[in-house]
Amino acid sequence: MKSNETLRNILNSVLPVLLALLIGAILILAIGENPLEAYGIMFGKSLFTLRGLTNTLHAAGPLLLTGAAIAITFRAGLFNMGVEGQLLIGGFMAGLVGAYLHIGNPLLHKLVAFAVGASVGVLFALIPALLRAYFRVDEMVVTLTLNYVMMTILEYLSSGPFRDQGAGYVTTPTIDSSAMFTRFGSTRLTPFFLIALLLFGILWFLNTKTEFGYKIEAIGKNPEFSEATGLRVRKSIIMLILVSGAIAGFAGAGHMMSQEYKYTLSFSGVTGLGWDGMLVSLLGSHSPLGIIISSIFYSALKTGADNINMYTSIPKEIVAVIEGIIILFLSIRFLNERFGLLEKLSKKKGEKNEPAL
Amino acid sequence: MNLLSRILYDMVYHTTPILLCVLGGLFAYKAGVLNIALEGMMLAGSFIAVFVALHTQNTLLIYLSALLVCAVIGLVFAYLAVKKKGNVIIIGLAINMLVPAIASFILQYMGVPNLTAKWVNPVNFRFDIPLIKDIPFLGSILSGHPLGTYIGLLMIFVASVVLYKTRFGIYTRVIGESPNAATSLGIQANKYATWAILIGALCCAVAGLNLSYERLGIFTNGMTAGRGFIAIAAIYCGKGKPVQSAMYAFIFGLARSLAINLSVFAGPISALFDIIPYLLMIAILAINSAYEIRNYRMRTYW
Repeated sequence: MKSNETLRNILNSVLPVLLALLIGAILILAIGENPLEAYGIMFGKSLFTLRGLTNTLHAAGPLLLTGAAIAITFRAGLFNMGVEGQLLIGGFMAGLVGAYLHIGNPLLHKLVAFAVGASVGVLFALIPALLRAYFRVDEMVVTLTLNYVMMTILEYLSSGPFRDQGAGYVTTPTIDSSAMFTRFGSTRLTPFFLIALLLFGILWFLNTKTEFGYKIEAIGKNPEFSEATGLRVRKSIIMLILVSGAIAGFAGAGHMMSQEYKYTLSFSGVTGLGWDGMLVSLLGSHSPLGIIISSIFYSALKTGADNINMYTSIPKEIVAVIEGIIILFLSIRFLNERFGLLEKLSKKKGEKNEPAL
Repeated sequence: MNLLSRILYDMVYHTTPILLCVLGGLFAYKAGVLNIALEGMMLAGSFIAVFVALHTQNTLLIYLSALLVCAVIGLVFAYLAVKKKGNVIIIGLAINMLVPAIASFILQYMGVPNLTAKWVNPVNFRFDIPLIKDIPFLGSILSGHPLGTYIGLLMIFVASVVLYKTRFGIYTRVIGESPNAATSLGIQANKYATWAILIGALCCAVAGLNLSYERLGIFTNGMTAGRGFIAIAAIYCGKGKPVQSAMYAFIFGLARSLAINLSVFAGPISALFDIIPYLLMIAILAINSAYEIRNYRMRTYW
């Protein structure tokens, strides 16, 4: 039964992707382009060349972390929708540390920037965490709203007090070279990817092998029961949202030091790394291996989009459309638990489905 | 116009889209479906209204197409959420991501940064209400708005009546409060939930249309700027009751109006005024909640 369930989980993630790619193909056809060629370029250039593959892995680093940040709260039945905002403030502050604190030592400089990025992520996550734990305010509404607040504040800061006056567009000064990660050879891959993987491994270990992980699982499954058996649910909720904020801030700092080097208004891309993390987490059904695979897949989609822009006349926004459709389909379970897999495959439409999550 | 009536007129002006979203969205809230896709639906309405306005000057057609597209989005939401029992938060987020993505895909394809219907002159859409405009102070505030605003104000009464005086409203509230009891009485929960979501979608269409077409004749991506979430907060703050929720919508409108009218005196930092409505909303939610749980003495988790 276990392997059956795994297979079902995989199919539940793969089918929405295929369907979304199909709808994307129809859209591409509608504007008079060849979808096969487009997808060929997209995945061919991003997975099957050394340069493309390293680019993909490089871009997967922050996604891995934002995915994890969302997954750990999801598993406890919480919705930290503020990952985007926490990532932005983390990246911004790391950028300031990189540009204004002239610490010569490369290692120390990066460590300070990481520490600052993660701490501001935590501080920013403190608001929804405390409101949720002590006033029972829906953390989802608060975090969603705070994203807008943070975006507005950072827009003001980066175009006002911290603007690099020499640049022709809105940006903060470029960080010192001691705060930049060095690339491996001619690729774009930096040690940050390895750090992200390591951190991800630690998180996974915490989640599955320790008491902390067990608590999360218990709270997610039945908070009343957990409280009744003596778990301090309130404290755990605060802890969890803060950890999530720390990871998001850390991811932002890493993105700053390995990719952007300065804070611009498009720091986290067209779709936003925090939201991408949501997709990655959902697609990987909140499991560690799933998140690794889906972050690489999604990163391939994104690096592929740049190539699409270069080689065809299809707008790269097609990727954002596909992302939206994938999430839409991920909201429901295509295959459910009650029926055998093969039966379901033969008549998967028109059945009553179990609620997702 | 003196500053005070200017601020109050702008309050009504800025409340309109939020108000419409609130009054449409509270039906789904009462039916027990959390619709966070208000934002995306509103943006869809904004986009379609200006997009159609590029090709025709027929106001009726513009209204109808915005309503139609939002109804389709509402149906997709209802199908996935009600029929397929999907996770409503994820569906809502997906729609909120999908609409701007499609809009920017089309904008990119057309090769323009935003849509501008050049023939639109917002002043032409504003009209006075015969009797109300003659009331000394109130007239200058409530009159001289575009159609969407009047629909919004009217909806306060319509929503109250529909929700509390009709069978549809009562059934909708019942399925929200106790779906099992409703089903046991033979109420078709799915049908009422679907209609509740649809009403929200249609109101969002008018809200979006007001925002882009009636105010400016311009669509820029992301122009809804979180108003849908403010609407959700207003619904939460007012617990889904039409008059109370509308009142919160007006508070947010007032904050926005103050931010804009006072920015003359504040200089560049006025950009930060925009966060006031959001912070205000979080504060209201917290105070409301704190007030509610103040007598709760049992050890609990929430």
